[in-house]
Amino acid sequence: MNTLPIEELRALLAAVSKHGDWHLLEIETDLQQTMFLLNEAIEKLSASFMQVHQELSAQQAELKQLQQAGRLQAEEEARFAAYQTRIGHEVDRVITGMQFQDMTNQLLQRTVNRVNGLKALLQELSSHQAPMLAEDEYEEIKRFIMQLNQQFHQGSQHLSGHLRKAVNQQDLATGDIDLF
Amino acid sequence: MTKTILTVDDSGSLRQMVAFSLKAAGYDVIQAVDGQDGLNKAKEKTVDLVLTDQNMPIMDGLTLIGNLRNLASYQKVPILMLTTESSDEMKAKGKAAGANGWLVKPFDPKRLIEVVQKVIGA
Repeated sequence: MNTLPIEELRALLAAVSKHGDWHLLEIETDLQQTMFLLNEAIEKLSASFMQVHQELSAQQAELKQLQQAGRLQAEEEARFAAYQTRIGHEVDRVITGMQFQDMTNQLLQRTVNRVNGLKALLQELSSHQAPMLAEDEYEEIKRFIMQLNQQFHQGSQHLSGHLRKAVNQQDLATGDIDLF
Repeated sequence: MTKTILTVDDSGSLRQMVAFSLKAAGYDVIQAVDGQDGLNKAKEKTVDLVLTDQNMPIMDGLTLIGNLRNLASYQKVPILMLTTESSDEMKAKGKAAGANGWLVKPFDPKRLIEVVQKVIGA
C-alpha cells in the first residue's frame, strides 16, 4: 500500500526554504551594496557640486569687480551675464537631478524589507519538524499544509501592510505644489 | 531681519539641496534628521517656517506637525510638507494635521523659493 511520502515532502519544503533563503540573502547583499554605492556617489557628487558652485561664485565676484572698475567692454559684460544665467539654470537642474538618491533609496529600502519578509516566510517551510504518527499520516499532513498555507497568507498580508509604496514618480520631472 | 527655516528630512543629500537653495535665497537654515530631531530643534528656537518630509524614522512628518501645532509658539508658523508622497489621501491628512502646503519631490529650486517667499516673504 502506498503511503504519503511525508519525509520526502519535508525534505522538499526544507530545500525550498534553504535555497530560497540563500538566493534572497544574495539579493539582499546586492541591494545593500547598491545602496552603499549610491550613497557614496551622491556624497561625492554633492561635495563636487558645492565646490564648483563656490569657485564659480568667487569667479563671478571678481568679474563684478572688473566691471565696477570699468575694465570690461559692454559686449564682454553681456557675454558674462549670459554665462551666469545659463550656469544658474544648470545649477537648478543639478539640484533637481540630485534628488534621485532620496527616491531610489526609499525604493531600495522597501525592496530590502520585502526580501527580509520573504525570508521569514520561507523559514516557516522548514520549521515544522514535529514527528507524525503513521496512522494519522493523512490528517497530520493535511493539517500541516493548511497551517502552512494560513501562515503564508497572514505573513504575506502583514508584509504588504507594512510596505506601502511612497514613491510613485516615474521620472525626475518636478512635482506638484498645493498651498492649503 | 533674516528669516529662519527648519528643514526636516532623513536624506542627507536632500537636506543639503534644500539648505543650499534656501541659503542662496538669503534664508538661515536649521537642519534636522527626523521628526523627533525637528521637534527638539523647533523647541530650541521658534523658526519662521518648517519644511518637512513625511516618511522618516523615529517620527514622521504628520506626527511632527501634530506635535508642533500643540505648541503655543507654533500655532501660526507655516508648515510645508516636502515629500515623495503625492496621493490626495496623504495631502488631506497633511491638511488635517495642520500643514499649510504640500510640495511633491523632486523640487525645482526656483519654484521652492517662490513658494517660500509667498508664504513667509523674502
